[in-house]
Amino acid sequence: MQSSAPPRLRGGRSRTLAAFTALAALVSSAGCTVANSDAAGSTGTAGSTLRVVLAQEPPTLEPCEASLTSTGVVVRSNITEPLIERDPETGELQPLLATGWQRTDPTTWSLDLRSGVTFHDGQEFTAEDAAFSIDRAVNSDLACNVDGYVFDGKDLEVAVTGDMSLTVTTPDPDPILPLRLSFIEVVPRTTSTEDKVREPVGTGPYVLDDWETGVSISLRRNDSYWGEAPAYPEARYVWRSEPSVRAAMITKGEADLATALNPEDATDENSVAYPNNETVALRLDGREPPLDDIRVRRAMDMAVEREAIVDTLLAGLAEPAAQLVPDGVVGYNDELRGTPTDLDAARELVAEAAADGAPIDREISLIARNGQFPRVAETAEALQYQLARLGLNVRIEMLDTAAHLQYQLRPLPEDVGPVALLIMHGNQTGDAAFTASQYLLSEGAQSTFGTPELDAEIAAASALSGQERQEALARVLADQNADVAQYVHLAHMRGLMGISPGVHYEPNSASGDELRLADVRPAGREGS
Amino acid sequence: MTAFLGKRIASSAIPLLFVVLGVFCLARLTGDPVNLYLPLSATPEQRAEFSAAHGFDQPIAVQLWDYLAQIARLDFGESLRTGQSAAEMVLDAFPATLQLAAVTMLLATAGAVVIGCLAAYRPNSVADRACSFLSMTAASIPDFWFAIMGVLVFGVTLGWLPTSGVTGGPEVWVLPIATLLIRPFGVLVQVVRGAMVAALASPYTKVARSKGASEKRVVFGHALRNAAMPVLTVAGDLTIGLVNGAVVVETIFGWPGIGKLMIDSILQRDFAVLQAAVLLTAVTIFALNILIDACYALLDARVRHAVPA
Repeated sequence: MQSSAPPRLRGGRSRTLAAFTALAALVSSAGCTVANSDAAGSTGTAGSTLRVVLAQEPPTLEPCEASLTSTGVVVRSNITEPLIERDPETGELQPLLATGWQRTDPTTWSLDLRSGVTFHDGQEFTAEDAAFSIDRAVNSDLACNVDGYVFDGKDLEVAVTGDMSLTVTTPDPDPILPLRLSFIEVVPRTTSTEDKVREPVGTGPYVLDDWETGVSISLRRNDSYWGEAPAYPEARYVWRSEPSVRAAMITKGEADLATALNPEDATDENSVAYPNNETVALRLDGREPPLDDIRVRRAMDMAVEREAIVDTLLAGLAEPAAQLVPDGVVGYNDELRGTPTDLDAARELVAEAAADGAPIDREISLIARNGQFPRVAETAEALQYQLARLGLNVRIEMLDTAAHLQYQLRPLPEDVGPVALLIMHGNQTGDAAFTASQYLLSEGAQSTFGTPELDAEIAAASALSGQERQEALARVLADQNADVAQYVHLAHMRGLMGISPGVHYEPNSASGDELRLADVRPAGREGS
Repeated sequence: MTAFLGKRIASSAIPLLFVVLGVFCLARLTGDPVNLYLPLSATPEQRAEFSAAHGFDQPIAVQLWDYLAQIARLDFGESLRTGQSAAEMVLDAFPATLQLAAVTMLLATAGAVVIGCLAAYRPNSVADRACSFLSMTAASIPDFWFAIMGVLVFGVTLGWLPTSGVTGGPEVWVLPIATLLIRPFGVLVQVVRGAMVAALASPYTKVARSKGASEKRVVFGHALRNAAMPVLTVAGDLTIGLVNGAVVVETIFGWPGIGKLMIDSILQRDFAVLQAAVLLTAVTIFALNILIDACYALLDARVRHAVPA
């Protein structure tokens, strides 16, 4: 029947046209611009603008929060500068806004400051500003991150002794005060002490130009900078939380530098591996059976196959570890080696412990954090299997950052049974005393237990300086392994930084926390 | 109509209150933000001070009462993470999400009506089968996979489009919209086709044809109007899903919308921002539901008359 196939549709063109006109009007009414972004903003032209893609937007650019990685990576040594800086390669302290410093008595240090430096707003830098910055970061009620991070909440006494000199007095003798001061970014004395500032003024080689919330941060060169002018007149930060997108931006040429790439996305052309200062370890809660038995903890250390984890799961971007700090940190012990895997000996230790009544079959929670490092879940599974070979009953729990922190920090949660916590520790300070006081002291904020002997050793080591300090701290790390065994050390990690062929930059152990734009040059113009 | 709207608005107020209470309590069940905001090495005294400064040391009932009193003054608090006003952050981010949702749904609906009508016009023809196959595929593709492949293929390999970001011309819209579009489009094509097949086979279509109405009038004037109800229901649901924040698209493409803001504020236990964002989207969703109901009333006299004036 002819009518079963209806006649062809005709007409309707005017309506379709109307619909598309309406749509076109909708998009063009916004000028094709995405709300919450600047219409005139450009992506930055290759060549004159250094384009950096970060993993996340900095929550704030407040200089006293610069020990937060996401803030510090933009602020430190770009917008603001400290008095003293630590060379990440050598670990030596270098003069920056201070030209010299010396210890005048056990608790007092005097500093001489650089003259001829001006802030971005035109104010001259004097000792008043330096004293104000220390006071604001350490002694104020702002609850600055740096205060808790490097000063343990202790107050400092700061006195201006001349236009360009000041003294700093500590409550107790502090041989590494200059190192601590290298974490304080200097701000002008007009900065608010009541509130944190989102957009800082500093003395650095770059000035904050524009912060389009959610979209980008733009910096421009500080033309009155006291030091050598950086190569790029402008810099622009954007953020993408997906590592493969960051890698794609480097490959496509949309960005010059990208932080924290994943091994899957990295190629020789788009990235460089660098030691990023992070160390991964299992922290064993020595207060709970069966982990309270050192034989069980030692056996766990022997059962883990570090080399295999490093080579396969971590894609070779790590080295087997035997301590919580990497080479280059004061106190690093170069005689320690990762415990070789020895299943038979480990099983024997476990059997001995079991014979003495240790509840070997009690469930141990292996707690790790999602996104802690690439392939963290697989690493946890490998550890579970390797420990299960000893007859231990290990259950994996993957948590988000906030929940993981509940287990990491004192007060530790009660009634959760024995916990093996997968931690990643980054010592940004370059001194193992910071690690020891946090992770090794009996009452350390991130330690589950300790011994009075080790506590005394740590206290003694922290008061020393120079070569004595190095040796004493190295001994502390060796003794933790020998007598305490709170940690099963796994690996010293390496990060991957995306670098486009157009720029020349050598990442170092500090690059993840402090990405100095002045060190980046257009490729081919090296050593200018 | 006014009575109809009034009644709907009044009946939305109670669920809205439950949303506010629910988010407030659930957010606080997920743990203490103090550890996240202070350095790992902060002392217990510093932690206690931070808790007290932000009221986290108070019993939850007291915190809730304070919060409700704050909302009554239209004060949504400050972000713990950025120190900015939560209301400002949320209001800044929301339009970007609304833009995405509006453009996506307009394109998806317009496209689905055209393709669905064509498919339904000759059921079981080659065009119909091809269209069913493609729309089923579109509705089943995981969006995060599609987005990443889009970036790799069109951004990197072919180099036609920017990989991500929002600065630039119309080209920055293509990948985000395509990613968002694909699922609603697939689903809507199926719905339009189903509804149109039924409508075109119904007695009133035969009557219209026998009256001598043009095919255009039969399809668009009679059949489509009757098929529009289920399409409206599904499209409304899909729109609500998009307004809630296109988390995957916003995360991958760096789109400064509310979905990313909400996820970040959950992960960072940034309660003020989370509460403000949920409240705003909840209000928007209630408004959208009322709008959809109003559309039903416009389309169908029976709905209009069910509500006594």
